[in-house]
Amino acid sequence: MKYETIMGLEVHVELATKSKLFCACSTEFGSDVNENVCPVCAGMPGTSPMVNRKAIELAITAGLLTNSEISPRITFDKKNYFYPDLPAGYQLTQLFAPICKNGWVEIETDAGKKKINLVQIHLEEDAGKLIHDDWMDTTLIDFNRASVPLIEIVTRPDFRSAEEVVAFLEKLRSLLSFADVSDCKMQEGSMRCDINLSVREKGSDKLGTRTEIKNMNSLKAIAAAISYESQRHIDALETGEEVLVQETRRWDDSIGATFSMRGKEDATDYRYCPDPDIMPVFIDDEWIDAVRSNLPETAQDKFIRLTQKLGLPEYDSEIITRSKNLSTIFDETLQYYNNPKEVANWIIVELLSIAKGDNKGEDDVRIDCQKFAKLIELVDGRTINRNVGKKILSLILEEGIDPVEYVEKNKLGMINDTSLISSTIQEVLSENPKALEEYKAGSKKVHGFFVGQIMRKLGGKANPQIINKLLTEALKEI
Amino acid sequence: MPNIEDYEAMTKISLSEDEKTIVSGYMNMLLDSFKKLEDTDVSGVVPLISVLDVKSPMRDDVAIKTISREELLSNAPEQHDGYFQVPRTVD
Amino acid sequence: MGIFIEDYNVSGADTVALEDSIMQKGKQVTAGSKILDNFVSPFNATVVDRLLDGGFKISGRTVMDEFGLLKLSHDDNNTPSGAVRAVSEGISAYALCNDLFGRYREEAPQYDCCYIHPTYGTVSRYGLIPLASSLDQIGIVCRDLSQGFGLLSHLAGKDPKDGAMFPDSKYCYGKTDEKITLGIPRSVIEKADADTRESIMDFINKFSSTDIDLEYFDLYSQVMYILSSAEISNNLSRYDGIKFGYRASGYTDIDDLYTKTRSEGFGLDAKLTAIMGAVVLSKDHYGPYYEKAMKIRRLIKESINFDTYDVIVLPCKISDDPYENLALYSLAPLAGLPSVSFSYKGYGIQLVAGVKKENLLLSTWEVSMA
Repeated sequence: MKYETIMGLEVHVELATKSKLFCACSTEFGSDVNENVCPVCAGMPGTSPMVNRKAIELAITAGLLTNSEISPRITFDKKNYFYPDLPAGYQLTQLFAPICKNGWVEIETDAGKKKINLVQIHLEEDAGKLIHDDWMDTTLIDFNRASVPLIEIVTRPDFRSAEEVVAFLEKLRSLLSFADVSDCKMQEGSMRCDINLSVREKGSDKLGTRTEIKNMNSLKAIAAAISYESQRHIDALETGEEVLVQETRRWDDSIGATFSMRGKEDATDYRYCPDPDIMPVFIDDEWIDAVRSNLPETAQDKFIRLTQKLGLPEYDSEIITRSKNLSTIFDETLQYYNNPKEVANWIIVELLSIAKGDNKGEDDVRIDCQKFAKLIELVDGRTINRNVGKKILSLILEEGIDPVEYVEKNKLGMINDTSLISSTIQEVLSENPKALEEYKAGSKKVHGFFVGQIMRKLGGKANPQIINKLLTEALKEI
Repeated sequence: MPNIEDYEAMTKISLSEDEKTIVSGYMNMLLDSFKKLEDTDVSGVVPLISVLDVKSPMRDDVAIKTISREELLSNAPEQHDGYFQVPRTVD
Repeated sequence: MGIFIEDYNVSGADTVALEDSIMQKGKQVTAGSKILDNFVSPFNATVVDRLLDGGFKISGRTVMDEFGLLKLSHDDNNTPSGAVRAVSEGISAYALCNDLFGRYREEAPQYDCCYIHPTYGTVSRYGLIPLASSLDQIGIVCRDLSQGFGLLSHLAGKDPKDGAMFPDSKYCYGKTDEKITLGIPRSVIEKADADTRESIMDFINKFSSTDIDLEYFDLYSQVMYILSSAEISNNLSRYDGIKFGYRASGYTDIDDLYTKTRSEGFGLDAKLTAIMGAVVLSKDHYGPYYEKAMKIRRLIKESINFDTYDVIVLPCKISDDPYENLALYSLAPLAGLPSVSFSYKGYGIQLVAGVKKENLLLSTWEVSMA
């Protein structure tokens, strides 16, 4: 490979606070348009920004998780420009005194481990949302998202491949979601990534022309955009047909290409200046220590605990620790029924497959863990069989039934009565002479057919192990 | 002298010819008077942003509704279905 | 020009007129600008809540210069402001204003009134349509300073809605028996006209005094203009015809909407200030203008230490040029100091004291009136 691609990232992460950064409006996702707006975040004059303490704490948390230096005194600055989603005509951000500096994140790819260095992390407020209506030739503005707290994580240009970028974003998501800093959902916009990219000949120490790419809404889109854009740079360098210009480009996922945004952002003079209404926020060691001691278990530590302390296989632990939501379900359910292997198995095999059927991913599935635990106990304790258990799981998810009550009411207890099972076996064998002939002829799969029929006659409630044992014995005697 | 058209664009203000003459006149006068700052030695001086030497108060993270959407939109020059409305804006 | 935009036809010794830059819930608030046409405020300024709690009544909303901006042009047709007229003509006992550039401090004595400009950070600015956030302070036009301080004691004090304030929850203003020494900046007073100088000398003779040198006086106007125009320019950016206020018609696209709205909605002073503010903050000028002005501001603040003097005496006018005159009114906001102005033997006098030393101002005035 003659060329290498060099990249740095600017990642915006929405903090998981209940209220906005500078006012008490709710940050709840999915609220009705313009319901969470007040004079402050609507840009009315005569209002005062009031700093949200939790937002600072979550930024401190992000700093601790990324091994950053945390500034003891932070201030906020105005970044001035006009755009309809910006109510005050300026965005409050941190240019002069960002909250964190010089952190790093370790990633692992097929090539091994690598340290990605961060320039800084700073707090800033989000802008409103624009909806473009080409039919009416109009743009509609919803200010619900205006002033929602964000942290912007700026990396050094340490990335050399799309694989590294994806690994970093996944690691970041794991760190921040497990610490409840943010749910980091790219599809919902709570994590957004802009990439600064340039290409140069391997061995050269000069940096090529840099372009910024925006508007990638998934990891897949990021990989595709990196691939496209680095090739575009290489083509330009090789053929000279296109001249590379330092600019911002927008990724269009439907077309699979980047398009110039006409350098609009580079031309703007933002006239940064300190905001004199917001006094400095002081962060002392006491506060940092308090945040550090309250840090939830990281995905990495959880993986170690699950495999080493609880003896779960690595495969299971990996799946569970991939999602904060699944980890939480696992931990909570375990509190009610302490069988890690069974709980893990039910989550990974049954819960996730039902969720998939409902088009819910590992981050969205929700369940009453106490009921879930009861169900697992019922199956593990052989009160009901697994098939019945699966059906009840669906009912817990859909209707929130209590499994113990439901089993009692509907008499779903597992049938262990060997004489009843034996007589049912005899019934089935005599009713299916053709199948019996096939069995005698050597077909093994007929066994399964018989089991199915027996189970059906017993209302699906029979103990499968007992059926198998008695059926095998019965067939031997034939 | 800074190019006045650049600053018109920056501040989204378009001056009439007469206004431009007056504003340029004042700009010249003011920038000329600002030259006086050049001779002042400020080495080692920290910029003063606020005369107050106080810490920022901070809010608890509780969501509170201050005004209704109706109140908010009652001042809107143009609205549609609960949204503020402007001409189609290019990204 | 009338006094009131809205006259509530209320009279009495406890009436307060509000400059149209102070938010009143349910009322139209325009700050003297077309760009806030039809804006109805959804909330009260804290000072409004406090004056109502204190048993005062609002007499009306007064006419004002657009946003209270400095008028750099000579105004030959010198009509007094709505706030000063309301008090001087006996229509209202008091008026609340934001006297950033000294218009009210200069005018009040001319119409037999007084003005109180409190220490920065003692009166909540929540609900004040701002000019420059680090310099603004709501003040009082009154007939008599001790009455004015009586009203101020109801208004001043920490407000949870304004983060840029001292922690004191209450302020009591009253005479002090302390011996007061005046600080006399002779080189400044020399710039006033002969009659004013005479009146000031007469005033000074009632006190012990010492000569002082206002070291950076020749830079006060520049520093004040640079810092205030930058902050005002940013504070004016929210007026865009989208969320509230005036919106132009006949625009072709979003950019045109912004430009037409702001060009039609702002007066010349607002346009000039917006542009000058952008100049001093722009990439090439930030260092030599804005940052340098912030540094000189610190030097100014530190140069006034009230060590050998308690109260500085200043004239109310040293020039017909508003920009030159601005220097007189800049010290108080730049250093966050309290100041009063009043008429002494027919001529305006300004006093400036140290942070939260309003009592010295009141006492000095009382001695002089005796």
